[in-house]
Amino acid sequence: MAANFWTSSQYKELLDPEEVDVVHQLDKDRGITLDDFKLVKLHMSNYVARLAQNVKVRQRVVATAVTYMRRVYVRRSMTEYDPRLVAPTCLYLASKAEESTVQARLLVFYIKKLYSDEKYKYEIKDILDMEMKVLEALNYYLVVYHPYRSLSQFLQDAGMSDTTQLTWGLVNDTYKMDLILIHPPHLIALACIYIASVLKDKETTAWFEELRVDMNVVKNIAMEILDFYDSHKSISDERVNAAMSKLAGRC
Amino acid sequence: MAVAAYGQLNLEESPLWGSRSVDCFEKLEQIGEGTYGQVYMAREKATGEIVALKKIRMDNEKEGFPITAIREIKILKKLQHENVIQLKEIVTSQGPEGDEQGKLDNNKYKGNIYMVFEYMDHDLTGLADRPGLRFTIPQIKCYMKQLLTGLHYCHVNQVLHRDIKGSNLLIDNEGNLKLADFGLARSFSGDHNANLTNRVITLWYRPPELLLGATKYGPAVDMWSVGCIFAELLFGKPILPGKNEPEQLNKIYELCGTPDEVNWPGVSKIPWYGKFKPARPMKRRVREVFRHFDRHALDLLDKMLTLDPSQRICAKDALDAEYFWTDPLPCDPRSLPKYESSHEFQTKKKRQQQRQNEELAKRQKLQHPQQHSRLPPIQQSGQSHSQHWGGPNHQTQPAISAAGHHQYGKPRGPGGQNRYPPGGNPGGGYYQDRGAQGGGYSSGTYPPQGRAPPYPGSGVASSVPRGPSGGYGVPPNYSQSGQYGGSGTGRGSNQMSGNRNQQYGWQQ
Repeated sequence: MAANFWTSSQYKELLDPEEVDVVHQLDKDRGITLDDFKLVKLHMSNYVARLAQNVKVRQRVVATAVTYMRRVYVRRSMTEYDPRLVAPTCLYLASKAEESTVQARLLVFYIKKLYSDEKYKYEIKDILDMEMKVLEALNYYLVVYHPYRSLSQFLQDAGMSDTTQLTWGLVNDTYKMDLILIHPPHLIALACIYIASVLKDKETTAWFEELRVDMNVVKNIAMEILDFYDSHKSISDERVNAAMSKLAGRC
Repeated sequence: MAVAAYGQLNLEESPLWGSRSVDCFEKLEQIGEGTYGQVYMAREKATGEIVALKKIRMDNEKEGFPITAIREIKILKKLQHENVIQLKEIVTSQGPEGDEQGKLDNNKYKGNIYMVFEYMDHDLTGLADRPGLRFTIPQIKCYMKQLLTGLHYCHVNQVLHRDIKGSNLLIDNEGNLKLADFGLARSFSGDHNANLTNRVITLWYRPPELLLGATKYGPAVDMWSVGCIFAELLFGKPILPGKNEPEQLNKIYELCGTPDEVNWPGVSKIPWYGKFKPARPMKRRVREVFRHFDRHALDLLDKMLTLDPSQRICAKDALDAEYFWTDPLPCDPRSLPKYESSHEFQTKKKRQQQRQNEELAKRQKLQHPQQHSRLPPIQQSGQSHSQHWGGPNHQTQPAISAAGHHQYGKPRGPGGQNRYPPGGNPGGGYYQDRGAQGGGYSSGTYPPQGRAPPYPGSGVASSVPRGPSGGYGVPPNYSQSGQYGGSGTGRGSNQMSGNRNQQYGWQQ
């Protein structure tokens, strides 16, 4: 039986962190480091989220779009695929795949409104052309399983419904990292619940034990998330701009 | 990058990421025609494997990659089952291909995208329409069992097919049946809370709840279509060939009775219930009309053609029906005869020719019913099928109005070559692409892609009035040509004899 996460391409294509954290040779040649690579992806995740707020689509569309973007850069270079075009294109494609279609012209309108910088300026035609390249890079695998689906059920079951908002926010933040390419979505959801339970002093040890999941994995994901929050504090605009400036620009 | 450079073939291996070029395939023959793309039989050059290529046309798209193709790809990538067509890969062409000279206008051309499917030799309609071919009962059981198994799999995985019809059921020479054309399919959530369009499913196979305008529905819509196909296989021709929505509903009422709060609780709350309310209630006649079917077949059909979708049998229960577990049992697919390739796209042409001949004969003789273009199945009992379905002489109706004849004898409009009526999804065919070509009655109301908000109330039940003498129990004044109120005023809808305007034995 297919049509569930375990038989999906997403599961089969789950990657090791070592496979995700590879800077493409073309990008290395431009002096882009692994840190830069991660920063650009983080910055572009935020870009997608900002655009999405303006065109008013659900969080799920944002999550799918960011996942597409991160999948693209596992195989493609930022030199050939300008992130400033790939990001809105992924949002465009995700809006269709998640049945919340956003018109390309609307997207272009808000891109111009949000960023006056020439480097962000792309037209409808550019988005449509990039859409084909993104589809190809994704190998037309468009279904993404997200942690949100299992989240509310887990929270209810764990008697933690009052922390829904906090946990939901934690899950949103995981898209600023590459977790969705590396871990099954339900484990990401559990890691966020674990963090929330610690923050809110909830006793959940027994509940987690009953789940019979590998708690080491859950705790490791939780540690990754907490590490990310730590390092996030030190990220400055200058660092982001420095990384962005190494990109080639319009493709 | 894993893809071959432009103009260079990568025949060695299928790249893990990125798609191959259509140049890896050699097109052999067109086997289907859709409104926005063709389907070809092709050979993979490297392996010699025969596949089907379904083109997704990209010119004309203001919004990039068509969302209908996105839906279809998403769903097909999700479903992996022996009774569901397998999408093997997606290939692209980087520029115009040999057969597309002249389409290069204004630099708009962006190349084509093809979905690559496993090749299937036949579709069910094409096979059933082969002159002289009769299915055996074990063969019908075998096809029905596979159809239900594939559909059950879709439903379990929360996918509604929404266009089950003979031409979308592909059959290979091993006797395997697979569901194809998921262009109208979509995922549903278990609670049926989302509002879905009711402009889906080819008219003849569309269930009453959709015709009545329901926008919350579930897997039962597909089961109605299965019921129509099942009856068609046993009956020898389509059982509910309506020409437009009101007529379709009327045909359903004539066969299945009129819905009310007793047999279908909640029906009066469906949007257009009032609009399509028939003048007088009709009784359910399924068991009477199909009384010659074997008992278990009739039991199952009766449950499939249940008006109330919540009471309609589901795929799982249908598979458990006595019908599939009593003699003669469904045969092993591999034991089925192998036929020369046939798709509706091809048989349609042959049939068209045949029909023209028939019409010619009719005009000359001014006479009696058309031959069945299909033969009903071979019955185990060995009874002659004319007893079952009312052969050519079953019609006791004496007077046939000259006007009716005249009308019937009229040359058909261009729509006449289509098997499916206007208002449904156009044409059948291998992996049919669609978009709504409407035509006839509802042409104006169909926007592209066949997904649309409910159509404006352009037709009501009263547009197909019955003649005053056409009441119950009285032989209705059907003529050979018009099935509705021969003497009435509402003949307008019959003017466009777009379909096989045949006689239906059970309507006597």
